[in-house]
Amino acid sequence: MSQNIDNEKPINIAIIGLGGQGVITLTKLIANVSFGLGKKVCYNEIHGLSQRGGSVQSLLRINEAENPVFAAKDADYIIGLEKLETLRYLYLAKGSTAKVIITNKYLIRPTSDLGYEQFPDEDAIMLEIKKHSSELYLFDALGFEENTKTKFKPLNVAVFSAITTFQELGLPTNKAENLVNEYLGRNMIIRQINKKAFKDGSKWLRKLE
Amino acid sequence: MTSVNNAGDNEEIHTKETQLLMGNRAVVQGLLEAKVGLTTAYPGTPSTEIQMQLYKLSNKGQLYFEFSVNEKVALEIAAASALSGVRSAVIMKHVGLNVASDPLMALAYFGVVGGMVLVVVDDPGCLSSQNEQDSRFWGKFSHLPILEPSTSQEVKDTIVKAFELSERYNSVFIVRLTNYTSLNTSEVEKNVVEEKMNKDGEFFKDVRYIVPARYVYHKELHGKIKAIRADKEFLGFNELRYSDSKSNKLIVTQGSIFPMVEYTRNFGKLDIAILKVSAIHPLSEEQLCEIIKNYKYIYFVEELESYLEDEISAIIAKNNLNVKIIGKEKLRIPQENKITPDVLLEPFTLIAADPDDENTFRYEEIPQLPFEPVIGREDLLLPRTLPRLCDGCSHRGAFYSIKRATSVSTHILPSDIGCYALGQVSPIEVGDFWLCMGASIGTAIGFSLTNNKPVIAIIGDGTFFHAGIPPLIDAVLYNHNITVAILNNRLTAMTGGQPTPSSNEDSSQNQTPVDIEELVKAIGVKWVKSVRVEDVKENTKLVREAMDFEGPSVMIFNGECVVELYKHDFDLGEPPYVDQEICNHCGICFIEFDCPSIVKVEGRIEIKEETCSACNICVNVCPQEAIIPRKK
Repeated sequence: MSQNIDNEKPINIAIIGLGGQGVITLTKLIANVSFGLGKKVCYNEIHGLSQRGGSVQSLLRINEAENPVFAAKDADYIIGLEKLETLRYLYLAKGSTAKVIITNKYLIRPTSDLGYEQFPDEDAIMLEIKKHSSELYLFDALGFEENTKTKFKPLNVAVFSAITTFQELGLPTNKAENLVNEYLGRNMIIRQINKKAFKDGSKWLRKLE
Repeated sequence: MTSVNNAGDNEEIHTKETQLLMGNRAVVQGLLEAKVGLTTAYPGTPSTEIQMQLYKLSNKGQLYFEFSVNEKVALEIAAASALSGVRSAVIMKHVGLNVASDPLMALAYFGVVGGMVLVVVDDPGCLSSQNEQDSRFWGKFSHLPILEPSTSQEVKDTIVKAFELSERYNSVFIVRLTNYTSLNTSEVEKNVVEEKMNKDGEFFKDVRYIVPARYVYHKELHGKIKAIRADKEFLGFNELRYSDSKSNKLIVTQGSIFPMVEYTRNFGKLDIAILKVSAIHPLSEEQLCEIIKNYKYIYFVEELESYLEDEISAIIAKNNLNVKIIGKEKLRIPQENKITPDVLLEPFTLIAADPDDENTFRYEEIPQLPFEPVIGREDLLLPRTLPRLCDGCSHRGAFYSIKRATSVSTHILPSDIGCYALGQVSPIEVGDFWLCMGASIGTAIGFSLTNNKPVIAIIGDGTFFHAGIPPLIDAVLYNHNITVAILNNRLTAMTGGQPTPSSNEDSSQNQTPVDIEELVKAIGVKWVKSVRVEDVKENTKLVREAMDFEGPSVMIFNGECVVELYKHDFDLGEPPYVDQEICNHCGICFIEFDCPSIVKVEGRIEIKEETCSACNICVNVCPQEAIIPRKK
């Protein structure tokens, strides 16, 4: 019945954010660490207008070779780089067991600022996310960014670092770190910043009760 | 290169290698393994990654690739190359094939000599397109075979095999992907290919390529498609999966959504066989009947149109097969938008149910999932996150000038395909009409002839070269009273910054850029101004002047794509600041100019330094001169 040979259960991950936040890069990082360990992995990306601040989601499945797109209520992990978008796609989470990781980041000024649409306040969004998550973690993006004293702040690399602390995902920290160094190394300055972001990243993650 | 190494030498071993590849990248890998000498394309998402990869390879000298001026030209170049015996490929998105269909339909008649594959990528759900037409229908229309792979591995293998088949039958082969197959990344076993591809060929003249009696070749074409219909290798693309299932039900689906159909089958724990049809055209009656006759109930699960359902239902009827057909409508699978497992969950509960029970398919009202599912309280309806023009986008300057010179009720502004289409929506609202590549100018003429209102066509440089020149010639010829605003950022920005004919930075391709201003003047436009986007006040006056001019007028707005600027330098300079003493909170910068980096914080207008790209257009927009630039 199952498509994978190892008979290991697929781990389904949804990564949610806005254009420009690095959703696709984060997906590639997770996928390539798993692939490097000899696991089956596949992912998809939804793009088009996403570069321009639109909603971006990518779906990633470890221990599955062919179909990255899974159904509602089948995600083991939801990784949200932006709160509003995370709430929008929270219906993907496996109700009682999914782990939800969110950041307290608000990147794009919603058009509703201009009075065209009603916009819920941040606390209300947070409350809803809490209500619908069985296990919720907060990545303190504001803290991380304040601590990063450069204009370029690689939130996705820091979140990647934090995610490697989930043992069940099977992402060894050293392999992950190597990949960050290899994969994101075109510009020397950016390379240094990414390296540091990975080193510090995991300390900004905490579980919310 | 194969995996076989010549024993004893010091050469690097060329081996098989497994890698994660996006479907689009797998296309390129297939083209390399098929040793394709010449490739052409016009940029279009979701096919862009194929083209960008080919572009990079051509810059390294591995093969010939060009971004042709439009899909028609791209196909004509590849056709002549294939007729000269060189393996050739042409890549485009679904709507591109409309443009290229003219040469394709005639080329089909006399076929090719060297293998030729047309890769067309459909966009179900219109994620980045003006429609979601189903390219499978081109097969029957043009009598060209179509293959539709499921995974990246299959994409690569299909491309390689398509070239063999193309040469076996001297026929162009179409490989159809969708945004699912083209943008999914999965494992591919590939042969490392590093050699340089050859594009030297020879065209052998033949009477078949010239005027007389084309119907003879039409007949030949019918014969070809008949032969392909019986080709074992071609039919080998179709696969019956889970044939050991005990059920008398069969799901028939197409290659491009098969992995999702399989996932949903397993998710719902259904023990039902699936027939995956990847050889989309021509369908083989013999092969299909042989499979279908073993089942009692046939379910059709397809994305977009009911292509297989209609075709195979006819085959079933013709052959008097005693099976019950349960189609998309009964299963309540929509004819539009993308297929996802979520969309399939409910149809699969219907597939699992008893098909002979009258109540199974009886629903008074079709319940629909909300377009964007909302969790929780009703008062917490989530606003949509709409794509917007980037911070620092040069189009914003052009839009502001046009907006100041026009009004919604007194002017008509047909727009075109590109990033600047985002200017159509609130709050910018520059753009009233959107059809297809180049249509802004043609429709501007029609609107000006029938409406007593000034008309301004909004078009980008890439789109202008692609299909905007003929309608401008029409405007000159008949002295149509229109204004054309060409937003010239010298690249195809929407698809990620491919060069256009006006690009001048790309020395590697040995291009001679075409000067838009010279071109427009040569066509015979009498009122032409080429301006910088930053000069918004002066440009507003010029837009009015252009509209007052009797006859066609052209205004070229020059500016840089900010995404492209960031590729070279991630620090674009110090953002300007708002002098709070002078600012009177009029809201022009904030609402009308619509810059995402200008925000209202506790009643004050401020510039968000972390996202501002220092384009400084807002400095010229502020009527109070309260926005002060800083030096870079």
